[in-house]
Amino acid sequence: MSRTVEFTDTEFMIAQGARLLEDGKSIFVGWGIPQIVAILAQKLYVPNVVQLFEFGAVGPQSVLPFVRGTMGGPQNTYRSLQWLNMNWAFAYSASGYMDYGMLGALQVDPYGNINSTYLGGTFEKPERRFAGSGGGNQVASHCWRTVIIIKHEGRRFVPKVEFITSPGYLTGPGAREKAGLPRDTGPYRVVTSKALFGFDDITKEMTLLSVLRGMKPEDVVKDMAFRPHVAKDVTEIPPPTDDELRLLREEIDPSRIIIRGERMSATA
Amino acid sequence: MSRIRREGAVEYRFEHPDDFRAHVRDGKSRKPSDKLRTAGEAVSAFLHDGDYIVYDFSSLTRGPQALIREVIRQGKKDLWIGAEFTLHESALLTGAGCATRIDVGFLGYGNYIGQAVCDGRVKVYEWTNGGLALRILAGARGVPFLPTRDLLGSDNLAVSAAKVIEDPYTGLPVCLVPALNPDVAFIHVHQADPHGNARIFGTNLFALEAAMASHRVIVSAEEIVEPDEFRKDPMRTTIPYFLVDAVVHAPFGAYPGAMPARYEIDLEHVDLLNGIRTEEQMKKYLDEYIYGVADHEEFLDKRVGAARMKELRRRASIVEGYR
Repeated sequence: MSRTVEFTDTEFMIAQGARLLEDGKSIFVGWGIPQIVAILAQKLYVPNVVQLFEFGAVGPQSVLPFVRGTMGGPQNTYRSLQWLNMNWAFAYSASGYMDYGMLGALQVDPYGNINSTYLGGTFEKPERRFAGSGGGNQVASHCWRTVIIIKHEGRRFVPKVEFITSPGYLTGPGAREKAGLPRDTGPYRVVTSKALFGFDDITKEMTLLSVLRGMKPEDVVKDMAFRPHVAKDVTEIPPPTDDELRLLREEIDPSRIIIRGERMSATA
Repeated sequence: MSRIRREGAVEYRFEHPDDFRAHVRDGKSRKPSDKLRTAGEAVSAFLHDGDYIVYDFSSLTRGPQALIREVIRQGKKDLWIGAEFTLHESALLTGAGCATRIDVGFLGYGNYIGQAVCDGRVKVYEWTNGGLALRILAGARGVPFLPTRDLLGSDNLAVSAAKVIEDPYTGLPVCLVPALNPDVAFIHVHQADPHGNARIFGTNLFALEAAMASHRVIVSAEEIVEPDEFRKDPMRTTIPYFLVDAVVHAPFGAYPGAMPARYEIDLEHVDLLNGIRTEEQMKKYLDEYIYGVADHEEFLDKRVGAARMKELRRRASIVEGYR
């Protein structure tokens, strides 16, 4: 029997992000939603993933519930393999030990370049100022595969970001290498609250791979400010499972401050 | 022949490594002495208007919040802050008229500080967390710069003073960041002795590097212990005494942030800080919580209260790994 599941767009984004990770690999975890994705993934799917945080926690297994705003607190450095500091954390990524990096973004463009710094105006006199890089620039520069997590709002997908905070494929094929960034690195997936994108092997441009079950490619592409490529066979992504929702709602974020969002539904 | 391929053009703090070495030779004593001071004495003696400050760790975890409140109370001016994870203290330092420049890092967003940047009341330069940490490592290592394979290709390069050159070994572009030797480092620790030996439990950003690279170092500590404790267990020494200029005994010195294994974050107070948007709200906060109390002890006594502190201590139930 099919039944309808109700969830928020944030819950879907986190759940499908968690399904992407591979067991026995390492992931450099950015601030915010990526922390939740990594926790959910480790609890449900990838017990042997090695999480790394820029403040020097190597391999932590977070205590639940998640405490918002914290990064270096005891909850998310719990049961680490090693406690270090920032220069050593970025040494792990710069020397090639980090398979995945996961970052949030304010704005992203077809080459997966991330803006997290400002919107409107100029750098010196922005209309709206945001947090900026933190360690995001290092994560996107060093990790083998960068996963970008972003709400599926049209204004966030722009033909050219206003400021490259963290590098994607810059201006296209070969541009990262030409800039001096480590070889064979770059954005791998863009996880949104409606869909999943990859990057074309040749052109390095964003390509729609999958959509939430019940949606059509046109539904997710129509309000984006650039037109992404669409894969030949766009696959469907099942909605959050009961296990994913239970963990998110009961154990990870019982106050539902992080997982709240726009209401959605799909067939389980 | 210049090998510079690209460079940022903003102002940046830099000191010739030989000048810093001379300061270490002449201005830093290797002789142990009693450096216990009140926060008021330490900030007054070691922080001057126009200084560059760095601190460890963040607004929410083991940040030197008692020292920062004292800086505001003393009305220091024209400070330049190197800030990795800065949420509310950059807003407070800017709102109180103390800070005019911030090198980031990660800048607390969506509230007072974002607007202050848009209004041009504070200048922000983008070094990124990794870039700032590497600058401080270079400062501690006595070299004029260190190379890195990030910042490359990004727009942060243009709004920092990083430079891209051709690497003589690979022939590829490589990014250089200049050494940073701050005037003052504030480091809040779990334990310190009166000479300045200090222990941090848990992770840190660049506590040792910042202490080595800075002209003057103020350590604030939850607990003061005997000097002999350090010699019994040297693996646990984070900072040795001869890097340190003043030691301030500041229980709950990271409040409203957390001190790992000692007390938890006070989220209600953090929400109050994050809710500050207008000058009126800023003034009200500064008057009530900073100017309106004489010192950290009075702040804890009158504005936080014993019951609240007891509850925050109770919530810090995770002690595994910290000792």
